[in-house]
Amino acid sequence: MKVTLFITCLVDLFHPNVGKATVELLERLGCEVEFPEAQTCCGQPAYNSGYVKEAKEAMKHMIRTFEHAQYIVTPSGSCATMFKEYPHIFQHDQEWEAKAKKVAEKTYELTQFLVDVLKVENVGAKLKGRATYHTSCHMTRLLGVKDAPSRLLKHVEGLEVVPLPNAHNCCGFGGTFSVKMGPISEQTVDEKVRYIEETNADYLIGADCGCLMNIGGRLERTGKRIRVMHIAEVLNSR
Amino acid sequence: MAMKIGADSFHQRVEAGLHNSFMRGAVAGAQERLRTRRLDAAEELGNWEEWRALGEQIRQHTLLHLDYYLMQLSENVAKRGGHVFFAQTAEEANQYIREVVIKKNAKKIVKSKSMVTEEIHLNAMLEAAGCEVIETDLGEYILQIDDHDPPSHIVAPALHKNKEQIRDVFRKKLAYDKTEKPEELAAHARKMLRNEYLTADVGITGCNFAIAESGSITLVTNEGNADLVTALPKTQITVMGMERIVPTFEEMEVLVSLLTRSAVGQKLTSYITVLTGPRDEGDVDGPEEFHLVIVDNGRSSILGTEFQPVLQCIRCAACVNVCPVYRHIGGHSYGSIYSEPIGAVLSPLLGGYDDYKELPYASTLCAACTEACPVKIPLHELLLKHRQIIVEREGKAPISEKLAMKAFGLGAASSLLYKLGSKVAPNALQPFTTDERIVKGIGPLKAWTEIREFPAPAKERFRDWFREHRKERERDGNDL
Amino acid sequence: MGMIYNRDTFLQTIARQLGREQILSDVHRPNWNYTPQWTVFQGYSQEELLSALEAQCSRIHTDFVATTADALATTLKQVVEQYGGGPIVTWDDQRFSEYGLLPLLEAEWPSENVDVHIWDASAGRKNIEWAEKANVGITFSDMTLAESGTVVLFSDAGKGRSVSFLPRTYIAIIPKSTIVPRMTQAAAFIHKQIEIGRIVPSCINFITGPSNSADIEMNLVVGVHGPVKAAYIIVTDR
Repeated sequence: MKVTLFITCLVDLFHPNVGKATVELLERLGCEVEFPEAQTCCGQPAYNSGYVKEAKEAMKHMIRTFEHAQYIVTPSGSCATMFKEYPHIFQHDQEWEAKAKKVAEKTYELTQFLVDVLKVENVGAKLKGRATYHTSCHMTRLLGVKDAPSRLLKHVEGLEVVPLPNAHNCCGFGGTFSVKMGPISEQTVDEKVRYIEETNADYLIGADCGCLMNIGGRLERTGKRIRVMHIAEVLNSR
Repeated sequence: MAMKIGADSFHQRVEAGLHNSFMRGAVAGAQERLRTRRLDAAEELGNWEEWRALGEQIRQHTLLHLDYYLMQLSENVAKRGGHVFFAQTAEEANQYIREVVIKKNAKKIVKSKSMVTEEIHLNAMLEAAGCEVIETDLGEYILQIDDHDPPSHIVAPALHKNKEQIRDVFRKKLAYDKTEKPEELAAHARKMLRNEYLTADVGITGCNFAIAESGSITLVTNEGNADLVTALPKTQITVMGMERIVPTFEEMEVLVSLLTRSAVGQKLTSYITVLTGPRDEGDVDGPEEFHLVIVDNGRSSILGTEFQPVLQCIRCAACVNVCPVYRHIGGHSYGSIYSEPIGAVLSPLLGGYDDYKELPYASTLCAACTEACPVKIPLHELLLKHRQIIVEREGKAPISEKLAMKAFGLGAASSLLYKLGSKVAPNALQPFTTDERIVKGIGPLKAWTEIREFPAPAKERFRDWFREHRKERERDGNDL
Repeated sequence: MGMIYNRDTFLQTIARQLGREQILSDVHRPNWNYTPQWTVFQGYSQEELLSALEAQCSRIHTDFVATTADALATTLKQVVEQYGGGPIVTWDDQRFSEYGLLPLLEAEWPSENVDVHIWDASAGRKNIEWAEKANVGITFSDMTLAESGTVVLFSDAGKGRSVSFLPRTYIAIIPKSTIVPRMTQAAAFIHKQIEIGRIVPSCINFITGPSNSADIEMNLVVGVHGPVKAAYIIVTDR
């Protein structure tokens, strides 16, 4: 099966290990992974800040880059959601709406792809320790991927996954919110950190690098010894 | 703007909110309780999504035919002997109510909770006209006797106050001599208010839903105060936002079911009261005279725009009860009687961007509000639309951000520029990097690193690794 | 006939904003895509509705007492005593005689020095004074909603609103035959009445237990402005 990887700018620039894990995992499951070098960013930073014109330029570029793919897979619930939003954003622009729809229809967040398309829940991963999982807002609420991650994590040998209290609450990232509304973001992420600590977990696992950068950055700043891992890294642990 | 509360800037108010630890504890506790109750109530029905779809369809249909239903409503009110005043502005509404009150020679007015009368600052006008105005909803009453402290939650207006504060206010203003026990406080309020109902000249209410087919108004409470406000005084004035209307009793019923479940997780509140006109011939209680004031005050300018869905709102506050931002800053931070998230959408529309341009940004776009809304208002999308307008039409975005976004547009739309920029990033940020972490950033990074570490750009980008990886696999014979 | 002010420009503004001419007639409600309200307790027998009502009563702080038509007077007397006796105020309602309660109201109680006031439209505001002083207010239920535990009261000259609001305790007598699944059936009934040209009562009350408030620190206080206590007496053979 041919999979076209949309790696996201955050992974490309800041978290290449997440990308490596994604590729290795998919390849081990028998996928042929292709990476179009022309890809940039899905446009979300501009779109969510109100710069729709600028965002659309990025979006058109991404549509052109991905329109011929068979399956588009990305290790980010939020960026997958953005691709899914494209048709809505290009509403009333016949040419681009149609193209956007094609792209949106074949876009999958990584865990969603594993569970729904590859139909696998046990990927043969091993990781020893106690973990809790942060459900990202866009992934659960907008993309509607609610239990794929937990179904996959359940089969990771040696890993005990404990529920995160008030998991439904946002971590306070919100893209530019994290810098525009710093004091509010700080309180929000601090509350998240408190709940994570309550679980006594060794690992905080998530499926979105934005949230993980926010929570991880705060964990580090406040000197907490909890390791932050992207779910791709967990599933690629052996 | 009338709906505005306080003169402090948004950031000053947020600062005050973040430092109010009682309020934050109270809000977090209330959010959890109300959220759980709402979810339980929805789960019990089993087909909540169908209910939401029905609620949305009813509201959309009504808004699309709003002029027709308002015509029908006003005809039916008049047929039953009630008077209807259509007020384009807050001033017109206040002026009419003032005339009625003066004609009735009213000295004392009892009110049941109404957001629209808060919005038009009705009480201030009535007091200026020499009337004593008494709010009868327990929460509103507490706020009123505490020198008009503004409400901080649409459904639980005094959420930000603790019982000791309430006890102290009662002692100071109402000669109260008991403890801070809620039962004792409520019993005292009951005693004080009983007499007010019986001696008031005019009763003023809001309106949860007007019913076009019969000219009725529906009032939803748990305390029963709206019933006393409408049963005892001789004159009743009901003020409604013009969109708070349904075609028939059958739609009222559905929306009330959605409202009570979403607001407080109850199947129905203790009192749902449907009033039609003044009292009937032979009735003893109920008003002799009934006035319905239908208020536009900026609502019509929302119709026909991309913001029209906000008029679907039934004021249940389910969105408030799940908002992570409201959770930490509380209702007063918004500077409007309508707080996040519905308020962050509505306030700039009714009160203008000058006063409320920050509100659309006070959201992580987590969409918890959209998911909770019983009539499916796409709240987080409407916040985004505000941001777009602030940038494109109002030109209120900071220059530095505009430049950055311009650069983003160029960079992200061109693979060459993106590749180039991302390649030099590690070097450009080198001076700020320790241990592969950016501890003290500049520009927008500064705001980030004040709170948390930021990862330094990786020395080898993913794409560089992948290129090597690809070559390796090809060398290994591509034995898939 | 009441007056209507400023309507024309107001409605024209709305029509203009909606981008069309004013609509003055021929608007019909669409066939709603979903009608979940009709599925609640669908097909329940009267017996099953009664059990649902009983279960709901415990959640709304309302005492539930089942009796028969023959025993109604005795039961009512007992319940009133439990709540501390008179003064009592009741509706002027044919059903008090149909259910054989007049001897209790007009002879038995007065002979025991229990004050009973039957609503008397000709006495004007005096009725309100009685109701305000009463310890117990008694009405029949015109319709009863099993799901929410609600009694529906249609006002008229003999059925004053204050009887259910002003006394400290409110007692509703509920003939089993008045129980319907939920508010849907009551709303549909009223809607039908309007369609065939009947006049809606000036006040329709949907009352669900005693008055209450959670305005102080979210603590539930039962009994605020209206009744502090409520009881439903169900007549199981009517």
